[in-house]
Amino acid sequence: MIGYILQGMIWTVVITLSSFAIGAVIGVAVAGARTAPFLIVRGIGRVWVEIIRSVPPLVWLFVVFFGLAEVGLRLTPLQAAIFTFGIIASVYLGEIYRGGLATLDRGQIEAARALGLGSFDLLTKIIAPQIFRTVSPSMVTYGMGLMKDSALASTIGVVEMTFRASQQAQTTGQGLAAFAIVGAAYLLLSIPLGVLARRADTKSRLKYVVN
Amino acid sequence: MTKGELPYLSAKNIVKDFGDNRVLDDVSIEIHSGDVISIIGPSGAGKSTFLRCINLLETPTSGVLSIGDFQIEIGEGHRRASKKELSTLRRNAGMVFQSFNLFPHLTVLENISLAQRRVLGRDKEEARARSMELLDRVGLKDKADQYPGRCSGGQQQRVAIARSLSLDPMVMLFDEPTSSLDPEVGAEILAVMRELANDGMTMMVVTHEMGFAKEVGDRVYVMVDGRIVESGPPAQVMSEPEHPRTKQFLSAVMGR
Repeated sequence: MIGYILQGMIWTVVITLSSFAIGAVIGVAVAGARTAPFLIVRGIGRVWVEIIRSVPPLVWLFVVFFGLAEVGLRLTPLQAAIFTFGIIASVYLGEIYRGGLATLDRGQIEAARALGLGSFDLLTKIIAPQIFRTVSPSMVTYGMGLMKDSALASTIGVVEMTFRASQQAQTTGQGLAAFAIVGAAYLLLSIPLGVLARRADTKSRLKYVVN
Repeated sequence: MTKGELPYLSAKNIVKDFGDNRVLDDVSIEIHSGDVISIIGPSGAGKSTFLRCINLLETPTSGVLSIGDFQIEIGEGHRRASKKELSTLRRNAGMVFQSFNLFPHLTVLENISLAQRRVLGRDKEEARARSMELLDRVGLKDKADQYPGRCSGGQQQRVAIARSLSLDPMVMLFDEPTSSLDPEVGAEILAVMRELANDGMTMMVVTHEMGFAKEVGDRVYVMVDGRIVESGPPAQVMSEPEHPRTKQFLSAVMGR
């Protein structure tokens, strides 16, 4: 039983990492829209964030998997899960970035602009490395939450850990064992993430001091 | 370097509104190559805003800017500056801020090399050589591998000057470069600026340092309530001011 359940771990990891990666990239656009100089763009960003955040992830998952199929876009359960969680992650990560951006001294952006640096360099050379320290703990916390949410993918038939555990519980009647195993597996996956977060934080803390 | 006859940098009829508030009201300035001009005046007169309009950190409501062969008209009916134009303008006008604004996550050397590599496309070695040369010039060669957080305020400002010089700008803009420093440390920065001026650098300095404006400046402009009320050779403006607001301002500053 242990082996069977743990084989599902790969899908838990795939869903978590892929949707986190998608969210981390699109999140930049979300944060950009939320802080744009134009009122309309800011408004659209705001509405988008509220819509995505206010609806439970499970509902979004069903909308994407069953709803899009109705209008002719048939996604596999795995695709639907990654897409859904990716979009949801982009909103939360975007808000985390925005929070980090608020801590950045405006003079940093001005200095970069005054030197003629373009937007891409500004983002990758000045903003990202400086806010990384502020945002990385929140990002890891969000990543852990995302990993747990990925269990929802079992409801649309992705054969990940939780799906397998509930299958085992039903066929063998050993629900306690099956879910204890899956619980321990999630715990095991979380621990390295926490360590990673702390290490990234202390490493950059050692490197430089902000006045 | 000889002082040229054609204006090197000019800002014509610059107007800047913040909402209903007119911060700059038809300000025009011309600088010739090698000139050092100072802009003085009471706080809130719009001096810094004007300087920031020149490299478009602040977009003027209307006006014409030109630097070297490059000219741009701003205002209704004119298109916005393209990214390329902005970059051209900015790399030709080096800016030194009151609060230094060094990048804290980069070493002193990286601070000075970054834009050389990304904006001018210099290779690593070329940028490094130029950076070290500039660090030597501001007397901080030994700080190359330090992070700015480990440098004193005066050292940070000197690095910031080197960083702006690294793009070989046509003109250097100084926005109250000594205001956040102790007078003694400020003197150190003024000495660096004086040397730059002696080397023929074209400079525009917003300052409260009357001594610097008087000794080093070729011309001084007095700005009050968003307008240039008086300009001329420093000795004349400072000893025989004509405008009542200039008199008022100077006596307040000198009387301290």
